[in-house]
Amino acid sequence: MTTRRTFLGYASAMAAATPAASAWAQAVQATGSVTQSGLVGKLEGPIPGGGPTPAKFKEAPQLAELVKAGKLPPVEQRVPAEPMVIKPVESTGKYGGTWRRAFIGPSDGENGNRIMASDKLLFWDFTGSKIVPCVAKGYELSADGKTTTLFLRKGMKWGDGHPFNADDFVFWYEEMYLNKDIVPAPIADMSAGGKPGKLVKIDETTVQFQFANPYFLFPSMLAGDTLIGGGQATRQSAGNSYAAYAPAHYLKQFLPKFSSEAEVNAKAKAAGYESWIRMFHVKKDWELNPDLPTLGPWRTVTPINTPTWSMERNPFYYAVDTDGNQLPYIDKVVMTLAENIEVVNLKAMAGELDLQERHIDLQKLPVILENQDRGKYDVHLDLAFNGADTTLHVNMDFRGDPVVGKLLGTADFRRALSMGIDRDQMNETFWLGLATPGSSAPAESMPENPGPEWRKKWSTLDVAAANKLLDGLGLTQKDSDGYRLRPDNGKRLVIELLAVKAFMDWPKHAEMIAQHWRKIGIYGDVKEAERGLAFNRLLKSDHHIFVWTNGGTELLYLYSSWALPTDIASGVYGIEHAKWYASNGAQGTKPTDPKMLEALELFRSAASKQEPERNKIAQDIWKIMVDQQFTIGTCGQSPALMGVRMASRRLGNIPGRTCIAQHCRTPGSSRPETWFYKA
Amino acid sequence: MINFITRRLLLGVLTVWMISVLSFAIIQLPPGDFVDAYVANLAASGSSVSADEAAALRKLYGLGQPIYIQYGKWITRIITGDLGESMEWRRPVTEVIGDRIWMTLLLSFAALILTWGLALPIGIYSAVRQYSFGDYLFTLIGFIGIAVPNFLLALIILYTAFKVFGLSVGGLFSAEYALAPWSWDKVKDLAWHLPLPAIILALSGTAQLIRIMRANLLDELRRPYVVTARAKGLSEWRTILKYPVRAALNPFASNMAYLFPLLISGSVIISIVLGLPTVGPLLVKALIAQDMFLAGSIVLLLGVLTVIGTFISDLVLMWVDPRLRHQMD
Amino acid sequence: MFSFLRAKGPALSKAERYAQATQLQLTWWRFRRHRLAMISGIVVALFYVIAIGADFLATTDPHATDSRTSYITPQPIHFFEDDGSFRPHVSGLKGVRDPKTFKLIYTVDPNRHVPVDFLATGYEYSFLGITTTRHLFALRDPQRGDGIFILGTDQLGRDVWSRLMVATRVSLTIGLVGVTISLFLGVLLGGISALYGGWVDTVIQRTIEVIRSMPTIPLWLGLAAALPNDWSVTAVYFSITIIISLLAWTDLARVVRGKFLSLREEEFVMAAELAGASTGRIIFRHMLPSFMSHIIAAVSLALPAMIISETSLSFLGLGLRPPAISWGILLQDAQSIQSLALAPWLLAAAVPVILVILAFNFLGDGLRDAADPYG
Repeated sequence: MTTRRTFLGYASAMAAATPAASAWAQAVQATGSVTQSGLVGKLEGPIPGGGPTPAKFKEAPQLAELVKAGKLPPVEQRVPAEPMVIKPVESTGKYGGTWRRAFIGPSDGENGNRIMASDKLLFWDFTGSKIVPCVAKGYELSADGKTTTLFLRKGMKWGDGHPFNADDFVFWYEEMYLNKDIVPAPIADMSAGGKPGKLVKIDETTVQFQFANPYFLFPSMLAGDTLIGGGQATRQSAGNSYAAYAPAHYLKQFLPKFSSEAEVNAKAKAAGYESWIRMFHVKKDWELNPDLPTLGPWRTVTPINTPTWSMERNPFYYAVDTDGNQLPYIDKVVMTLAENIEVVNLKAMAGELDLQERHIDLQKLPVILENQDRGKYDVHLDLAFNGADTTLHVNMDFRGDPVVGKLLGTADFRRALSMGIDRDQMNETFWLGLATPGSSAPAESMPENPGPEWRKKWSTLDVAAANKLLDGLGLTQKDSDGYRLRPDNGKRLVIELLAVKAFMDWPKHAEMIAQHWRKIGIYGDVKEAERGLAFNRLLKSDHHIFVWTNGGTELLYLYSSWALPTDIASGVYGIEHAKWYASNGAQGTKPTDPKMLEALELFRSAASKQEPERNKIAQDIWKIMVDQQFTIGTCGQSPALMGVRMASRRLGNIPGRTCIAQHCRTPGSSRPETWFYKA
Repeated sequence: MINFITRRLLLGVLTVWMISVLSFAIIQLPPGDFVDAYVANLAASGSSVSADEAAALRKLYGLGQPIYIQYGKWITRIITGDLGESMEWRRPVTEVIGDRIWMTLLLSFAALILTWGLALPIGIYSAVRQYSFGDYLFTLIGFIGIAVPNFLLALIILYTAFKVFGLSVGGLFSAEYALAPWSWDKVKDLAWHLPLPAIILALSGTAQLIRIMRANLLDELRRPYVVTARAKGLSEWRTILKYPVRAALNPFASNMAYLFPLLISGSVIISIVLGLPTVGPLLVKALIAQDMFLAGSIVLLLGVLTVIGTFISDLVLMWVDPRLRHQMD
Repeated sequence: MFSFLRAKGPALSKAERYAQATQLQLTWWRFRRHRLAMISGIVVALFYVIAIGADFLATTDPHATDSRTSYITPQPIHFFEDDGSFRPHVSGLKGVRDPKTFKLIYTVDPNRHVPVDFLATGYEYSFLGITTTRHLFALRDPQRGDGIFILGTDQLGRDVWSRLMVATRVSLTIGLVGVTISLFLGVLLGGISALYGGWVDTVIQRTIEVIRSMPTIPLWLGLAAALPNDWSVTAVYFSITIIISLLAWTDLARVVRGKFLSLREEEFVMAAELAGASTGRIIFRHMLPSFMSHIIAAVSLALPAMIISETSLSFLGLGLRPPAISWGILLQDAQSIQSLALAPWLLAAAVPVILVILAFNFLGDGLRDAADPYG
């Protein structure tokens, strides 16, 4: 059997939905106060492959003028022979306008990367559940799961007009990925069963990923926000060099192999860089280098490290609407640097930003709604699918204090902490009642959800039961303030909650949790830290409990960093355990908790399984996770993280509701290139 | 005289050197380094950097070496005019600081002028007309300036401007001029945006200077020579302005050089609230991200500016108070 | 000089009293005449009374959170029942979130009056080692969601009045401890610098110049970022105090040194020297009293500056951190758009800041004028 998905015609694309997908798409119905608000719209979006290739192509007026002046080839030669045909949400739009947006600094690259998401090889549709074509017009997974073949579009061009083809993949693989100076260590995405895979060219428009073991998960990895599948904009910026392809014709001049090390170093020195490596990292970064050829709808004009990060349309963009108009409709994107989040929100409310969902604060919703008519914008609430926007990530390998370490490693202790949290109060205070309280398991509509009872297990307020569990652990002695004492030295037992003020005001959340824990006699000590310093502590696993979202875990295999110790860049559950997992046991220490081991083994086994089986395994993992309370969920499925969308009323083709999720590259899956200014 | 100036200059250089060591040391104080902060930032946005890569990055930035070697590298480059590259902004520091240092200077200078312009006459008036209604009124206004934290004032003004006038105050330029090359219209646009932050900034410094001026002048006014001058029938204002004010300016002048770092510090806070393109927000972010070269350069630059300010104030001091000139020679 | 005094004196007997009075008496006489300073002195004293009795004056546990009391507007205490009888009470409140605007709307339940008792029992607290539950005011049999919210509540449903009381204690003591440290350092180093001169003077002056030449914010940032994360609230509290005062002493040292230097040239010092007085006697008996006024003026300015420093550090997220409560932390809560728009009463924390700073300044002003022996 060959699992072939080529998406060549729009009909086949529609038929390619995975079995679990429709369940998700249909079941995302909002409940409670969210529905009464009238702010949660219908989940909808543009459809790539949503029509046959039009016979004739049209273009933006400015580009037509450049063509007339002989500065640009005609649109037929710029658009590939097999373009991506996108059916917009409402109608085909008209050209023009500048999209005003705000960003908060050079570290906010994702702000722009996400609107460039159509440079990914494969992507998800607007529901976030179905793989659709993107840069690749289709893919084929072999029956044994060991090879994945990608089919590229004939006649596709880079932003500078140079052909884009299989050689750009070979260049990335051989000259960047395998170059130790650029990518020091191979990535897990490119290996199956512990053996590294290969990327080979079959012909001009066909490339193949070959693995020694079955890797049925790989197409999803290509579609997901992973190192291999993330796309050029996000995975070749900020010092990364992944994403499977790169503009060979442009980047060769910066590599020693194509001249000499002395020559590129001299070039680097002349340009003010310490070495050719430093220069290369800047030259391949679309956020920094306006000259870099890209595939996305816009290209950088003024880079991210200036007060205004601006972009203009890519005249060689590979997508058209159903009438043959080359996308994008919007001429320019201008992102203004705002020094803080309050300024972003004020600007948005003053109508100075046209579409902004990033850095918009849910807590300000009443004020945002109040100023709707004055700022001439609509407010849409997009609900997430992950279990909890605020999750207590418990360090399973805390070695700083054996007594605390042992308690954190005890399931009943974690269960008691979880049952000591009044989630309804948190929901009301921090989410304005818009969230769903429960465990860290993904939304019930998700294919990986283990069942409704697992959203509730150990995850509702039950002070009596929590106290009973804690008494059962021998923590019966209390001090005069009613806090439980440590069994070893009779001092108060202190559990630290490390929290960072980031997408939400997590230190405040932690403060409230600490207040709730008074009733179960646990002294929660809130430690607010700056983000960099907090993550530094995580790398050393020098924390008790870290408060952060578990966003992304709704598709566990594509993003497990906030669920299990699989990510060596994060020691949130114990860095030694993560090393042990990532190195297949060669480094680090093996977790002692049998349930944790079971979850990790299940996780490891899944990559080689077909989708239905994978989902089943994910459900089993979640059952363990929830039962063991490795991560303690509070409230989620809310619009808190990038889900409060303020859209100017002048904009057209804006979906009523979009999928906000890591793999959907919010707002990427609602295809910003199809938005347009009505007036 | 020349002797004195050379001595001050030499001491200034020493001060600058000590500031450079201190700036570098302070940047080194926080646990972790730039790569840690960088990794954390990536992790937060969903990317990850492995330990091997982090090690490669450290090697690239020379972070593994002993601190004195890192300092040596840094200071040598600075002396040759190369401020290094900002790790977070991935651009030469001079470019990153670029216009922002001028904006900072402009804002602080505007606040400085405003502070002097208000403090000097009000201070004199308050001393001469001690306990008059005017004295109390000005003192009260000045004290409100000290008493209301300027970030609070900035925030309230920011929100009021939005609520009442429907505009977002953020920035020193309107959107259409932010990117435009310098022109007469852009200058006008800047002149339109500048007064508000300058006033907020000046308010806190003014009260302090008024107090100093008033206190010093009161001391002088009671000295016998003033009584003598009065007795000899010199006109009231001439009596006051000719000698006591000049004498009272002594501590006033020695204070104004230090007003500058105060204003710079203040500008950091209100720039964050108002979203102004000064070095303030840049510095805070650089320190948090442990972007050593950038943070170090900014602190050093501001320190150097202050030393120059002190030097100038010494010269002014010598000019206003002959006693000191005499003493120093 | 005495002729100068005498010429001003209205009656001979009074002038004689003046001439014979001690420095302290002179100061007190003059200070009493300065009405604003007197009032300010009383205000400052009141603030320190609040600082001592913070928990007694608080009505609700300042840390207790409750979503049912989130963002309540300030509620009055009613002193009379509808029938005119004197029975202090607060009205019961019921909060509902508007499903369209998402604002919390509280309605007064006219039928539910919760009596307010004087010197009643409330939450438990420790004061000077005594654990008690006695408060100035407290509710009788409060249900969940009831409270005396005369200044409203914050987002987490905590009573602003009670938090303000506790914050006053924290912020005022930071100022006091900080200014003491600065004063000590300033007088010591400024004095040494002026007296010994030479290389000691140079070293101290260079140090002062270096410290003052650095914009303070990066210094605070660097130092605060270096504070170990696992320190207790108390340790952070004292570290912040020390950090602030380490940078604040330079002003005082400069004033002291400058005055020492200029006084050295004065006739009365020379006279004392010629009369054979010891250095110590000259300093403490003759020089120090003559510029006491300047030290007092500098201290009166330094104290509010300390308080502002604390609020600024908190604003940047580098000062005290929750669950500690200080004026800076309360103001930090008030600084978001939603607070300004939906809960402007959170700005109440600015009132004591402004008040105490004004009071300190007027007090210092009066003291300064009063301490001037020639006034």
